[in-house]
Amino acid sequence: MSFKESVDIAVIGAGPAGLAAAIEAAKAKARVVVFDENLSPGGQLFKQIHKFFGSREHLAGTRGYRIGEMLLKEASEAGVEIRLGTVVYGVFEPLTLGLVNGDKSWACSARAIVVATGAMENTMAFPGWTLPGVMGAGAAQTMVNIHRVLPGRKVLMVGSGNVGLIVTYQLLQAGAEVAAIVEAADKIGGYGVHASKVRRAGVPILLSHTVKEAYGNGQVEGATVVKLDRQWHPIPGTERSFDVDTICVAVGLSPLAELLWMMGVEFTWDGRLGGHVPLHDEDMRTTMEGVYVAGDVTGIEEASSAMEEGRLAGIAAAEHLGYLDPAEALRRKEAVRARLDALRSGPFGQARKEAKLRLVEEFRRKYAGAGEKATVSAAGGAGGATGAAPEASNAAPASKVASPQEPEARGVARTGYPSPEELSASPGVPSMERLKKGKVAVIECVQEIPCNPCEEACPHGAIKVGTPITNLPALDAEKCVGCGLCIPKCPGLAIFTVDLSLPGEEALVELPWEYLPLPEKGQLVQVLNREGIPVGRGRVTAVRKSPKFDKTVVLQVRVPKELAMEVRAISRDGQRPS
Amino acid sequence: MKRSMGRKEAGRSDFTGRRAFMRVTDHPILGPMPQRREITIYVDGKPIRAYEGEPIAAALVASGIRVMRKTPKLGQPRGVFCAIGRCTDCVMTVDGVPNVRTCVTPVREGMKVETQIGLGRWSEEAVSRWLEETGMGR
Amino acid sequence: MASSKESVIICRCREVTEQEVLDAIEDGATTITGVKRRTHAGMGLCQGKGCSRLVARLISQKTGKPLKDVLPATVRPPVRPVKLSALAEGDD
Repeated sequence: MSFKESVDIAVIGAGPAGLAAAIEAAKAKARVVVFDENLSPGGQLFKQIHKFFGSREHLAGTRGYRIGEMLLKEASEAGVEIRLGTVVYGVFEPLTLGLVNGDKSWACSARAIVVATGAMENTMAFPGWTLPGVMGAGAAQTMVNIHRVLPGRKVLMVGSGNVGLIVTYQLLQAGAEVAAIVEAADKIGGYGVHASKVRRAGVPILLSHTVKEAYGNGQVEGATVVKLDRQWHPIPGTERSFDVDTICVAVGLSPLAELLWMMGVEFTWDGRLGGHVPLHDEDMRTTMEGVYVAGDVTGIEEASSAMEEGRLAGIAAAEHLGYLDPAEALRRKEAVRARLDALRSGPFGQARKEAKLRLVEEFRRKYAGAGEKATVSAAGGAGGATGAAPEASNAAPASKVASPQEPEARGVARTGYPSPEELSASPGVPSMERLKKGKVAVIECVQEIPCNPCEEACPHGAIKVGTPITNLPALDAEKCVGCGLCIPKCPGLAIFTVDLSLPGEEALVELPWEYLPLPEKGQLVQVLNREGIPVGRGRVTAVRKSPKFDKTVVLQVRVPKELAMEVRAISRDGQRPS
Repeated sequence: MKRSMGRKEAGRSDFTGRRAFMRVTDHPILGPMPQRREITIYVDGKPIRAYEGEPIAAALVASGIRVMRKTPKLGQPRGVFCAIGRCTDCVMTVDGVPNVRTCVTPVREGMKVETQIGLGRWSEEAVSRWLEETGMGR
Repeated sequence: MASSKESVIICRCREVTEQEVLDAIEDGATTITGVKRRTHAGMGLCQGKGCSRLVARLISQKTGKPLKDVLPATVRPPVRPVKLSALAEGDD
C-alpha cells in the first residue's frame, strides 16, 4: 500500500445507518468519509418502494427511495464524501482501514470508525434450493424495483414476516403472480396491514407449512410444500405441489459483521436480533475505543431505526473527537433516542426493544463500572446472553381484541385480514348507524404498530391517534365527512370510505389502488372481499389521482349495498367479469 | 365501452411467444421504463438486447436466461441468488475473464458473456489485455 | 433418489452436502472452523456467508451445543476477495 489518507471519522457502509452517521458527524464539522463496496449508495433503501410507517419525524408516509434521495441530499449538503466501489478488506491497528478499489489499494487512518455494514438474507436449505429460480426475497425485490426485471412469472414465497409480505406485494405490482406464502409458524409474522394487502389480492397464506422441495429440469419448475405439526415436523401425506418458476426465501437476516469479528470487538448473542451481534452501549460504542456500530449489523430491525442508530453513532463519534461538547451532544442524542424508542414501541417492537436494553445493560455491567443501576425490567440474568430466545424476532402479536399470547383463530394474525370481531372492536370503524347516514371513513387498523400519518391527513380533525403512536386510530364519526383524503395517506393501505346513503340498492366504496392496469371511470369490474374472493360486480365511478397521493390511486366503486362492508379490492387483471 | 390496451396493460411483463420477455415496462409506483440506450451483448454467441448501464444478470433474466453457470464439482446449474454481489452464484465468464459477478457488473456494447463451466478459464486474449492494463507485463 | 441429506447442499460455493457436514460433526467437529477444516464448507468465494448459519444449526442439533456458543470461523483479512494486483507494492 503506497498511499495513506487521514480522516476524522471513517464510516463503513453507505446505507441508511452509515449515511445518517456521516451526516451527524459532518454537521458537527468532523471530516467524514463513507466507504461502500457497491456502485450505488443507499444500501437496501432504494428498493423499498412502499411508504414507511412511524410518525412525521420518522418521515412516515414517505416511500423508501425518496427517503434515500433525501438522505443523499442531506449528506451532500453536509459535505460528506462518499467513495463508492471501495472495499474495506480489513481494519488494522490503530483504526487503519485497508481499502481496495479495482486495481488500486491504499490505507485510511481514522480517529473513529462507524461500522454500518448491514445484514444479509438468511438461507434455507431444502432439496432443490440451488436450482436457478430459488433466491432471496430481497434478491427478487432488487430485480423488480431496481432493475425492473421479473425474476420469474409465478412465485412461491417462503416466510410471512414483513419482508415476505412486502416483497409479495411488490412482485404483484411488477406483474408477477404469487401462488402462495408459506409460513412455518402458526401465525403470520409481519404486520396485519401488509398481510391484508396481499390477501385481498388473492394470495393465500398457508400457516404451519414449509417448502419441502424445489424441482425442475435445470431450473425451478415447481415446488412441493408440506404441513408441519406442533413440533415443526412435516406431516406425511400433506404434501401439495405448486406450479411455480420462482421460490423466494424470506427467513430473516443476519448481520454482516466480519470486520468487527476481525477487529476483536466483543459480541453477544440474541436470537431476537438475529444471532451474534456486537456489544454496544447506548451511544452505539463497541468494546473497542473509537469503534461505533449502527444499523442492521447491530441487530436486525428496519431502515428507520437504522437511520436513528446511525445518527446516534455519528453524534457520539463526533463528541468523542471533541467536535461536540457533552451538553450539546447529549441534547442531540436524547432527541434521537426518543425517536428510536417510538419506533420500537408496541407488540411488534417489544422483542427488539427488550433485546437492545439487555444488550446495553450487559455492556454497562461489564464495562461501565459498578454502581450503575440496571434499567432493564425483563430478562438479563447472570451471564447475560439469552441463548434460549426464539429466532424469529417478528412474533406476531394479537390484535387488540385477542389475548396477547394466543391470537384468536379468526384474527388478522392468522388469516391475514381483520375478523368481524376485530373490526367492530376497532375505534376506527364507524357504527352501522353512522354508515347509513352517508359517506364515512372506515379505518381497518386493528394492530398496535407505531404509525400515525392518518391523524395529520384528515383536514377535519376526525382521526386521532395521540401518544403513544401505537394507539389504534379513533374515528370521530361526527366530524368525518368521508372526503377520503386519509385513504392514500395510510402506509398500510388500510383505510376505505363507504357510502350507504345512496337511494336504491347500491353503495359506494372507495379503496386505495397501487396496481396497473388502472381501471377507467365507468368500467365494470369484478369486486373482491378481504380474502380476495370475487363477490360480485361493480362499476368504477371515479379514479382519483393526485401528486399529493404519491402514486396511490383512490378508486370509487359502486357495488350492491349488502357488499359495502365486504368489498375491499377489485380484480387485478383488468378483465371484465364474465 | 372503450378500454385501451397496450401501455395500460403493462405493469406486468410482456410475454412474446416462446421467448420470455420479462421487463417491467410500466409500473404503478416506478412509472414507465426510463429511456436508456439499447445495446447488444452476446451470450454464448447469441445476441441479446440489453440496456446501457444495467447489470449483465438483469439483461439475461429479462431475456429468459436464468442459468449462469455449472458448478465445478457436481455440474449443477446456478443463477441469481442474492442479486447484490455477495453470494457469487451468478458468476459467468465475461470477455474471457471468469468469475465475474453478473448481478453487479454493468453491460457494455459488444460484451461477450459465456455460461461458465466450473471454475472457468481466462482466455489468452483476456490475459494479454490484463497484463497490458495493469502494466504487470513489463 | 438418494436420501435428501446426501443431496441437499449446505455450502453452495464448495458444494458440500448436509451428509458431509453431519459426517464431519460425527468425526468430532464441534465448531464451524472444525467443520470447515474437514469439509471446506465456508472456504469458497462467499467465505461462509451462506452456510455458516446452516452449519451452526447442524452442529447445535447434533451435539446439543446451544447456538449462541457456536461461533463463526476466525475472520482474517481480506474479508472480501481482492485481486493480488491491487495489493502489490508500488503500483501507483
